[in-house]
Amino acid sequence: MTRRENQDVQDNIPPAVDTAPSAAKQPAPAAKGLDGQSVLKSRLQSELMSLMMCGDPGISAFPEGDNIFCWKGTITGSKDTVYEGMIYKLSFSFPTDYPFKPPKVKFDTTCFHPNVDIYGNICLDILQDKWSSAYDVRTVLLSIQSLLGEPNNESPLNTQAAALWVNQEEFRKMVEKLYKPA
Amino acid sequence: MLWDPEALDSLDDAAIGDVLQSWASFCGCNDALLCGRGDLSAGADLVPLVAALCGYGLCSLVQDHFLHSLEEAFKSNAVLKFWKHFDAFSDASKLGTTDFQVQENWTEEVLSKSLEEICLEKHYQEKCLLMLVHALQSYEESITDEKMKIQDYRSSLTSKYQLMVSSILLTTVPVHFPEILRSYFKEKLEELSNMMAVGHEEDGCEFQFNNIGLGQPSQRPIGVGEMDIDTCYHGSTFVKNNTLVNNIGKVVCDLRNLGFTSMTEDAYASSILLLLKDKVHDLAGDDYRTPVLGSIKEWIQAVPLQFLHALLVYLGDSPAQDNESSGLKSPLASSPSYPGIEMPSEGLVRWQLRLEYFAYETLQDLRIGKLFEIIVDYPESSPAIEDLKQCLEYTGQHSKLVDSFISSLRYRLLTAGASTNDILHQYVSTIKALRTIDPTGVFLEAVGEPIRDYLRGRKDTIKCIVTMLTDGSGGNSTGAGNSGDSLLEELNRDAENQESADYDDDTNLDDKQAWINAERWEPDPVEADPSKGSRNRRKIDILGMIVGIIGSKDQLVNEYRVMLAEKLLNKSDYDIDSEIRTLELLKIHFGEGSMQKCEIMLNDLIDSKRTNANIKASILQPPAPGSEQEETCLSLDHLDSTIISSNFWPTIQAESLNIPTAVEQLLSDYARRFHEIKTPRKLLWKKNLGTVKLELQFEDRSMQFTVSPMHAVIIMQFQEQTSWTSKNLAAAIGVPTDTLNKRINFWISKGVLAESVGSDSDNHIFTIVSDMVDPNKTGINNTRCEGILAMDEECERSVASVEEQLRKEMTVYEKFIVGMLTNFGSMTLDRIHNTLKMFCVAEPSYDKSLQQLQSFLSGLISEEKLEMREGLYVLKK
Repeated sequence: MTRRENQDVQDNIPPAVDTAPSAAKQPAPAAKGLDGQSVLKSRLQSELMSLMMCGDPGISAFPEGDNIFCWKGTITGSKDTVYEGMIYKLSFSFPTDYPFKPPKVKFDTTCFHPNVDIYGNICLDILQDKWSSAYDVRTVLLSIQSLLGEPNNESPLNTQAAALWVNQEEFRKMVEKLYKPA
Repeated sequence: MLWDPEALDSLDDAAIGDVLQSWASFCGCNDALLCGRGDLSAGADLVPLVAALCGYGLCSLVQDHFLHSLEEAFKSNAVLKFWKHFDAFSDASKLGTTDFQVQENWTEEVLSKSLEEICLEKHYQEKCLLMLVHALQSYEESITDEKMKIQDYRSSLTSKYQLMVSSILLTTVPVHFPEILRSYFKEKLEELSNMMAVGHEEDGCEFQFNNIGLGQPSQRPIGVGEMDIDTCYHGSTFVKNNTLVNNIGKVVCDLRNLGFTSMTEDAYASSILLLLKDKVHDLAGDDYRTPVLGSIKEWIQAVPLQFLHALLVYLGDSPAQDNESSGLKSPLASSPSYPGIEMPSEGLVRWQLRLEYFAYETLQDLRIGKLFEIIVDYPESSPAIEDLKQCLEYTGQHSKLVDSFISSLRYRLLTAGASTNDILHQYVSTIKALRTIDPTGVFLEAVGEPIRDYLRGRKDTIKCIVTMLTDGSGGNSTGAGNSGDSLLEELNRDAENQESADYDDDTNLDDKQAWINAERWEPDPVEADPSKGSRNRRKIDILGMIVGIIGSKDQLVNEYRVMLAEKLLNKSDYDIDSEIRTLELLKIHFGEGSMQKCEIMLNDLIDSKRTNANIKASILQPPAPGSEQEETCLSLDHLDSTIISSNFWPTIQAESLNIPTAVEQLLSDYARRFHEIKTPRKLLWKKNLGTVKLELQFEDRSMQFTVSPMHAVIIMQFQEQTSWTSKNLAAAIGVPTDTLNKRINFWISKGVLAESVGSDSDNHIFTIVSDMVDPNKTGINNTRCEGILAMDEECERSVASVEEQLRKEMTVYEKFIVGMLTNFGSMTLDRIHNTLKMFCVAEPSYDKSLQQLQSFLSGLISEEKLEMREGLYVLKK
């Protein structure tokens, strides 16, 4: 699954570079090709290092296998939310023009949430048009963690969940029913 | 008794009567002769009687009877008496040797007296035998003219008699007799040895062996002939000596005469060896500072060999006799003969070789037994090492050395009580000493192995090695710092060798030289471990062996860097000549690349000196904020800075510190000037590092100190306020209270501050001591504070030590491991290892082995952070 996605990302390289709308706003990557790749790698390395060292509770991520462009993430539901104690797995895949483009993030664990569809796709502004190169893996993880407690019911991907949100007890039951730990 | 029946058959009665009568009178004559005690008159009657009996063909009967009666007489007269003399000895030896030793000359007297007696008896009997021979001879002469037969009688009878005597004595010899002989020879040899020693002192010049050179034992002529008693030895000692040797010779001669040849030889051989052993022990003793092999050899020449020579001459085994027959043929007598020096007899040469081998072996055993002590005082004990080397060349018992030395190492050095420094010093001495004994390094390798293994288990090994490398004094060692052991010296030598080796490499390229090298090849000694590679690779290099303990030079270089940083940071001047020199030497050994960071550190110091001077020079031009400076009374003249490129330095421990505003201003002024000169670079102060020289002025006295900035800041607070509580003071300085309490002890111990317990037990009050404190009181205080101060020094290191760095690395790894296990659930050891290798690449990068990781993970398991399930690591929940 992840591997295929990864290939998708690599297939998409030319259009992503050519049509990057943010390229006008953001300074384009200084060098492409091998140099760009190594710059990107070291950026991801240092993101990993700072993520490991800061030790925020409830969030974590780590590169998967030998590919630093594919990470696995883990989010624990915050206290006093309906997701309390639940552990959700996510997968990250970084495009080659990261950090000028956002990483692709989706839930691996089924998550009953207004902004998460049944395939695990997440509707979150900073992962789309509000992305900035100042964000990193850690901020993405923190955003998703807070999204769990504070869904945006204006633009739901899962209308059932959005409708049920008002009834927190029922919602919790639904979350527990659909939760399949990895 | 032999009887010839045919001869009797042919006899008539008258003849028988004649025979019987002759026989009776022969027997009577015989008895008279044997019991006659020196009276040989009866011998004259023997002739006609023997002739008569022989006439009847009873010749053999006569001989047998005569010998038989001789035997009986010898048994009853001599043998019993002879052994009786020694009964006292057997009693004494049963009672214990102490009694016996009191009577010093007992053996000598008894032995020579009894020997004389028995020999006299034997001599007499031999005379009797000769009378019989004479009688037989005259009978023979009367019937024939053949001379040949007469000779026959004589030799056959004498040998028969000799055989008889020895068999009687040997069958009756008491068990303690060999012991008596041995003690006799021992006594005599000691006497001789003492006389020689005296003689050596008295007229040493005459007793010299000019040709004996220690260095070339093979070329040395065996100079015993030189000592020939008649030619070159005279004086009073000689006379005594000669008589003594003659006495001994006589005893030996008598003993040989009686058939004790082999027993005698055994006795004097064993007593000579015993004496030699004593002598070796006596000469060698516990003194390793003088070579003893030479004097032992001299002694062998002087005493036992001379004794043997004299003995052999006395016994008729003279050099002259042997000279032509065996002397030239003997492969042992390989020494070239000199004109005027008699060829020593083969026996003597054999003896010499035997004695020398024995001496070598004894000395070798003695030295091997004490090798540990010898190596402890190595540079002084090198004569003993040289001796040992020579001994081993002869005996070839190197393996004995290895075994014994390893066991004493394990027992005495490789124990928890020995300090790492001592072990290292001993290791260096061992390397040096064994290098002398065995240049191929085979035995060194065997001996060094246990030391290296042991040192690898010690934590402070690297630190000690680096200290030994950097300063000759051995650093903080417990007085064991022997300048001879300094590795720095070794570095120097190594550098020189390296240069010459490089030179060699350039010139050795031609074929001729290569051929010469190839011809010089020698096989490894048989003891070499074939798995350890050939000798070419086993070049003995002390530094290499020391670094080999640690395993990699990187660790050593790292430790050196930390130590260097510490040293440089504590320097108040910019004098780094010795450090530069050490670094250059290390560069030669470890390569330029690995010492690069250290070189940058030294360059920082050099640059600092220049920059510092430039900044000082800039003040002289326009005094920009002059008013402020006048106010503070502090000028930049008092400030010297060390500017470091912190990327290349080891982690420096930062500690926040509020320094007084005046100094703060000074520092920022300095930093501003630096920025002006070195734009765009900016200076960031490490305020807790460095040293402060200050003077405290009291009403009645002034004191000078050189202290750390922290101490200076503390005492400066008392300038405005004479009393502080510890909490307030800590807040003012900006350090935790416990740190303050630790540091302030310095001033209390100096009698500058006084501590009193305030209302709150945690909140002590410190007051400045304005008047001179009673010296006795401070004395008492001082002793109390020493310990605290020492402790203080410990935690006051400005550079993170290697262990701390390691700990820091390990926490990083721990976080990574927790991170990956959070996301992947469970992982195998291999996967964790590979993942760390792949992603933990930033400083500090992951460079541990699988084993190290495994032990680290088991540490985490024991801390209950991880769990192990079916070979997989998981987080403990």
